[in-house]
Amino acid sequence: MLFGRRRKNPIKMADKGVTEWKYATCGYCSVGCSLEIGLNESKQPVTTRGVATAPVNQGKLCIKGLTEAQIFDAVGRGREPKLRDRIYGVWRETDWDTALDDVASKLKAIQDKHGRDSVAVISTGQIMTEEFYTLGKLVRGLIGTNNYDGNTTLCMASAVAGYKRSFGSDGPPGCYDDFQHTNCLLALGSNLPEQHPIIYWRVKEALEKRKFPIVCVDPRVTMFAQMADIHLPITPGTDLVLLNSLAYVILEDGLEDRTYIDAHTNGFAEFAAEVERYDPVSAAKICGIDEDSIRTVARLYGQAKPAMSIWTMGINQSTHGTDGVCAINNLNLITGNIGKPGGTSLSITGQCNAMGTREWSACSGLPGYRQLENPKHREEVGRFWNVDPAFFPTERGLFQTDIFPAIETGQIKGLWIVATNPMTSMPNSPRIRKTLEKLEYCIVQDAYEDVECTKFAHAYLPAAVWAEKEGCFTNTERRVNLTRASVPRFANSRPDGWIFSNLAKRWEHSTQMNFPESSEGIFEEMKLLSQGEKRMLDISGMTYDKIESTRGIQWPMPEGRASGTARLYTDGVFQFLDGKAKLLALPYVENNERPTNDFPFWLNSGRVVEHFHTRTKTGKVGNCNKFSPTPYMEMNPDAAKEQGVEHMSYVRLVSKRGDAVVMVQLTQRVPRDMVFIPFHFHECVNRLTLGLLDPYSRQPAFKQCAVRLEPIAQDEAAKWNQQLRDF
Amino acid sequence: MSLDPQHEATYAQLADANSQITNQYGSPITLLPEGDQGRSLQINGSNEIGTNPNRTKQHAFHFTADNCIGCHACEAACSEKNDLAPHLSFRSVGYIESGTFPDYQRVNLSMACNHCDDPVCLKGCPTRAYTKHPEYGAVIQDPDICFGCGYCTWVCPYNAPQLDPMNGQVEKCNMCVDRLEVGLKPACVSACVGNALDFGVVENVPASREQTETQIPGFPDPEITKPNIRFQQTKALPLELTRTDSARVKYKKGADDQYQPTLDPKSSGKREWNWKKLISRENPLVVFTLLTQCAIGFFTLAVATNQLTDAVALVTCVLVGIGMLMSTKHLGKPLRFYRGFNNLRHSNLSREALATVLFGGSVGLHLLCSQIGLYTFGYVAIPCAVAVLYFMIRCYTIPARPFWNHWQTSTAFGGAALTTGSCLLLLIGNNTDPIIYIALILGVVTELIGLVFHARRNRSSNSEAAASHYEQSTTFAKTHVCRIVLMACVCISAAVTVLFGWFNVWIALILISLVFTAEFIGRSMFYVLVTPTTMPGAFFWRNKGFEEHARETGLADNPNVGVARISH
Repeated sequence: MLFGRRRKNPIKMADKGVTEWKYATCGYCSVGCSLEIGLNESKQPVTTRGVATAPVNQGKLCIKGLTEAQIFDAVGRGREPKLRDRIYGVWRETDWDTALDDVASKLKAIQDKHGRDSVAVISTGQIMTEEFYTLGKLVRGLIGTNNYDGNTTLCMASAVAGYKRSFGSDGPPGCYDDFQHTNCLLALGSNLPEQHPIIYWRVKEALEKRKFPIVCVDPRVTMFAQMADIHLPITPGTDLVLLNSLAYVILEDGLEDRTYIDAHTNGFAEFAAEVERYDPVSAAKICGIDEDSIRTVARLYGQAKPAMSIWTMGINQSTHGTDGVCAINNLNLITGNIGKPGGTSLSITGQCNAMGTREWSACSGLPGYRQLENPKHREEVGRFWNVDPAFFPTERGLFQTDIFPAIETGQIKGLWIVATNPMTSMPNSPRIRKTLEKLEYCIVQDAYEDVECTKFAHAYLPAAVWAEKEGCFTNTERRVNLTRASVPRFANSRPDGWIFSNLAKRWEHSTQMNFPESSEGIFEEMKLLSQGEKRMLDISGMTYDKIESTRGIQWPMPEGRASGTARLYTDGVFQFLDGKAKLLALPYVENNERPTNDFPFWLNSGRVVEHFHTRTKTGKVGNCNKFSPTPYMEMNPDAAKEQGVEHMSYVRLVSKRGDAVVMVQLTQRVPRDMVFIPFHFHECVNRLTLGLLDPYSRQPAFKQCAVRLEPIAQDEAAKWNQQLRDF
Repeated sequence: MSLDPQHEATYAQLADANSQITNQYGSPITLLPEGDQGRSLQINGSNEIGTNPNRTKQHAFHFTADNCIGCHACEAACSEKNDLAPHLSFRSVGYIESGTFPDYQRVNLSMACNHCDDPVCLKGCPTRAYTKHPEYGAVIQDPDICFGCGYCTWVCPYNAPQLDPMNGQVEKCNMCVDRLEVGLKPACVSACVGNALDFGVVENVPASREQTETQIPGFPDPEITKPNIRFQQTKALPLELTRTDSARVKYKKGADDQYQPTLDPKSSGKREWNWKKLISRENPLVVFTLLTQCAIGFFTLAVATNQLTDAVALVTCVLVGIGMLMSTKHLGKPLRFYRGFNNLRHSNLSREALATVLFGGSVGLHLLCSQIGLYTFGYVAIPCAVAVLYFMIRCYTIPARPFWNHWQTSTAFGGAALTTGSCLLLLIGNNTDPIIYIALILGVVTELIGLVFHARRNRSSNSEAAASHYEQSTTFAKTHVCRIVLMACVCISAAVTVLFGWFNVWIALILISLVFTAEFIGRSMFYVLVTPTTMPGAFFWRNKGFEEHARETGLADNPNVGVARISH
């Protein structure tokens, strides 16, 4: 039975020639996996491997982390700084000094002519915390515009605003370890297997040891919905109704934790009065979940003790995203599920350093969760930076989603985009394109020069990416983790932090301020600023070496403490002045663009596991990109039959904003009145989306609008589709 | 280099304390006698012998289908470990799905090489590139020996060997034997995020798992190769599961509770011509098989009708020569053609190749020797011709290609030998001998009878052949009819010619053009129509429909789309 074994050649196995491994934190999503980058003899990154001793991922990596070594020397990396006078002009490569001089002088000229706030800065969740801090110092302390925001407005803003409204401060209270302790996991609009595979693995590992029920609320039968014990296929945009109704049943059945409510919350009466309007019978008519299921889930959650909720974009990207977050917090406050092992409100964050930008970038306020509105905070930071506190605005300026309309109306003339790609990621891209064309001066700073925004830029600054530089990311569970600079910088690119501190030199007052050279120097400065009475976000006990040796530390970790902190609010003391959390009355207002006869389908969007954001990285990694190399749409086969649409054909989708061409994948995963499109592709789903804004977080409702289908000649569609794919 | 067991987590470490004596197919699990620890696998030339205490036991993958989330981590880890270009993958995840929203189920299937007890790839490979090692029972293929004929990719029911059209060679899963040697599970298994994949000594049940089934829906009949993979699938599945790729196959639950492939039309069933689609990567084989069969029929009939002239021998040699040339053109590495005879012990392809050379050679020798009055080789050529035909048929009647796995392959090949051979003889030799016309008619009738029974079997078949049949009666319906009409015309014209004695070159010319057109269409369809028993693909990845689309539209020009620009 054994064959062919005479005189054989040695077995050849691929050997990438790794000679050393360098520590890093994955630069894709917010799970925050520890990994090592394998460098070959000539110091080139050739592969990655998970770190087995890391508390987050215990050696596991998802497809993106496994192939991450390929993002450095990729198609489309920016080699040299470039300038041009007109967006239809020819780029001319230049040196860094000339480029930064040009950027500074153009920004100053616009500010001199139109006022300080006539330039805007849109930042990201992709760069390191130290870089965010430096950018904040530059924008708040020198440039002085108040129109400074991050792309986190597109993903986590509702979670931030919700945490602030409920608990008095941002900061996810729970951690991944909670899966080991919980008796019920409620997942709302969160598709872990696709979006955060390693968190899914942590759930799976917990389940292998001890079975606990999972409830998944999602309008699609995602893999997570399929794996869940109970799937609630909700009508898009109505999660607030479901959550209020769950609270109704919990209160009706007396499953609430009275002691906790009395000791640690305010506002119960108003909350209970509002919830009274959401009996399961009425709620079922709106949210599409039958009253029995609402009662079953509410009782399960109320009795579980402890129970926890996680959510992602299904909640955040909605016209009442912040209310949804607050409603989840309400649910956990009334059941006493905050700050307990297995009992928490855990927002599963998006980008690798979405948390870092929330904490330290000064986008929405001042560093370290300080607020512009608070004179004490302005004073503190002003003194620390040696900036006149009066130079700071006294309230937060425009959000990213309001900056574009301000460009449209001519209030903003200059824009600096850092490591984000609004041409693909903002809703209603036809409008964004017209907006960007109006700018007098636009700077794009990105590691990849083929990022679509560059088409509208006057200056392009090539940034170093990920392990080409050093610094920290904070993950979903507040774990600060380190990436060592281990990979040679690509061409003439520079770390974003270097660009910020060197641009700062173009402002005279910078000589009075301190811009440390090294990332570690900046981190040490941040540590000082993180200290103080009742400061939750305290990192003063951390050092780079300690972070690396323990594979990440969860803040708060004040000086003198041996380790970080797994959970917040374990003592039931919240960040409001009286230390109590707020139960909020959250009335549901129906304001979505719903399907009509003319536009009969809900358009839903989301993520696929092989891609990250606008594909600037994963689109160039063949072993990721090949699993969805071209845009597609999930559509219900019964609806397709009615519309005469075939599997694997192209269709043209039309909304009230514009149109898009996609390939059709027929599947019963989506209901008959819904289509689903991954959002990663340029000139695709966001040509259609409306993106109404949440009143608190100004986050767009990407996932709720209406479209219709139009036939299109197949060969023409194929050609169009191909032309739109530069990568 | 990167293999450092200390660095890896517990879940990545092999943990087989005990094992069974025999596997579910009744074969011993320990592959070498007691005490024999096997040899060095000579990984990258090293003479070391691994420390794994179970290295002489058959190892297997264990796949919990309930758990697979289709996250591609296994595929990525494999490609990363083996440094594979995007268009290749030793492991692939496809899926089958079922139900109506929201009662919907998707079953993801992650599949690599199953390192079978009966490795048909190894037996089929003419170059002996494959080895089944008693160490771990790993079936390992050596691309440096391979000449890229792709026959292993035909016989393997799981699509495990990967033909790289850019490189002209096959590569496949190597079980990560380097990791096994140091006690680590393969890269794909260690990377699994859904806790679906596991690995160990075959028949061992992984921790917190219960089943070691040899079958799940979508997986080809394990009897074909006795694969070393075990499954757990405890969630109830619906009666029917469909595929998202372009294969016109779905899986239906039978009376025995097993799922069997059946036809899934996936289209309106329009009857079309599709001439262009007849052109495939197997074109050289169309020419090779037809010319070789023509030579066989031509030469044998010539001998039978006493017309073995120098011209006949010469033409036979030329036909065989061109045929052989075309068959090497089909190879990824044509200059390695001489390796085709390396596996006479197991491979029908090797035997076919040798028989063809012997046939052509003996006819050639006959041509030379007949000049000095020696005619023996002419007679030697006849059994060689029979052997060629026999092994050629055996090459195609393989379980992984149900459409071919029928006696119609014999009638098609034998019939073609008669039709093409007789026409050629009419043109070159004596066109007044009725026996030749009768042979022609016999050839046509044989083929038609084969087609009738073939269609009857396929139509109601619980196999991928039903999909092939559907394709034949829709996509190529008109072409197929055209071919049958042509053959009927041949039949009638031959009969009329004999009856009225209208023997002349023109008739012969007409007949030969009709016959070759019909045979060419028929043989092209033979290759184009086959639907292999492969694992289900995904929407883009391993979807033949998308691959074709990407090549046609130019999407494949971007290597990151993961579709090889050429199809071999």
